Amino acid sequence: MITVKNLNKSFNGKPVLDNISVIFETGKTNLIIGRSGSGKTVLLKSIVGLHEIDSGEIWYEDTLFNKLNFAGKKKIRSEMGMLFQGSALFDSLTVEQNVMFPLDMFTDNTPEEKIERVNFCLTRVDILNSNNLFPSELSGGMKKRVAIARAIALNPKYLFCDEPNSGLDPITAILIDALIKELTEEYSMTTIVNTHDMNSVMEIGENIIFISEGCKCWEGSKNDILTSDCETLNDFIFANSLAKKLRAANKK
Amino acid sequence: MIKFLTQFGRYFLLLKKVFSKPEKPALYFKQTMSELVNLGLNSIGIIAIISFFMGAVITLQTAYNTENPIYPKYLIGLGCRDSMILEFSSTIAALILAGKVGSNIAAEIGTMRVTEQIDALEIMGVNSASYIILPKLIATLIFNPVLTLIAIIVGIFGGGIAGTFAGVITTENFIYGIQYAFIPYYIVYSLIKTVFFAFIITSISSFQGYYVEGGSLEVGRASTKAVVYSSVIILLFNVILTQLLLS
Repeated sequence: MITVKNLNKSFNGKPVLDNISVIFETGKTNLIIGRSGSGKTVLLKSIVGLHEIDSGEIWYEDTLFNKLNFAGKKKIRSEMGMLFQGSALFDSLTVEQNVMFPLDMFTDNTPEEKIERVNFCLTRVDILNSNNLFPSELSGGMKKRVAIARAIALNPKYLFCDEPNSGLDPITAILIDALIKELTEEYSMTTIVNTHDMNSVMEIGENIIFISEGCKCWEGSKNDILTSDCETLNDFIFANSLAKKLRAANKK
Repeated sequence: MIKFLTQFGRYFLLLKKVFSKPEKPALYFKQTMSELVNLGLNSIGIIAIISFFMGAVITLQTAYNTENPIYPKYLIGLGCRDSMILEFSSTIAALILAGKVGSNIAAEIGTMRVTEQIDALEIMGVNSASYIILPKLIATLIFNPVLTLIAIIVGIFGGGIAGTFAGVITTENFIYGIQYAFIPYYIVYSLIKTVFFAFIITSISSFQGYYVEGGSLEVGRASTKAVVYSSVIILLFNVILTQLLLS
């Protein structure tokens, strides 16, 4: 479980996150949703420690993460996996080497054990016979899958996904969502997904927080979201004309 | 001024991170070997070509400016040797490497930054600065002196070829000249300078790339800055080191 208490973050004096408090539960797919520029990525990067926060507390179980030194953070980070918006695969390494990287860096496994784990992770994300390809030779969806394989290579307790569906077609996006949800349940991870894709929200949103202009405006599940009375959230959800028509029809 | 001091401070903080204990020395060793090829072996060609022509031009210019019969012909060989050893093999080669290697390093690290590869390393708990920059530093510190020696040898050879083919000096005179009053310390001086210059090129270029913010435009700017700042600081240190080592 990850607990965020009264988190504030600003850049050059400009507040970006304002007093955010939220609990991300274990074994659930927690979603952070909001418009572009609302502060979702800053919140996610603050939670994982890529941004120093101005004030507040970030707890990983019973450890106050933001007050830890480098060694302490490193220990928690060894239990994290992250899927970045652009996949962030290492260009100079093959698919196999990318997935093997955390194993090389943090385990003393034999080469055979590492290969076995790499193949298991790649099979788990449905990437077959691509071990020797470089990231530049992969499609967007494949890159995301390889990035997920790399993120789960060390059996993380926490999985973070920053816009996992950006740049993907709707079908591939749903497949990636399903994969994230499956892995979360399978390994009982605490998963946090940043997204502004409503398909994702409706597919995998078990615990959702809505951020607008750096503030948490709403929290609930995918079952509550369509009936919310939060105007800003409704403007976000029913942004396109089809959704607006459906909403109007529903009201009638 | 404050901006300059801030950058200066960040540069040294980055170096502190770079020189911290590696997580997995074996992995760093592998990375260093790869950088030796990328930054070292792949630079031999350009260094050899430029040194050859530099040596040739030095020989011809010395010959055409010392046509007076009171100057012995072997001075042309001596001039070529000392110019190559003292200045051209280290300083000019360093300026060329600042362009080739420096821009390569800044662009590579800058791209890693904007594509979140550095963030990915940090999330895994890897000291990204050390993992990315230390192997490059070690590789250039090891290989740039080798490049300097290659530059000296090829430059003098180029001078000999050009002088002989242009008919300004005989091979015997040139060989006598390059052996005449040889001071081995000049080689040491040149290698010491090279080590400093290698550190300057790699650390400054890495610094420029590591702190890139934005996109491809900023990566391009960082690459340009890496070359400009490295070149200026190389020239500054050239003066300081020359005064310290030859006075």
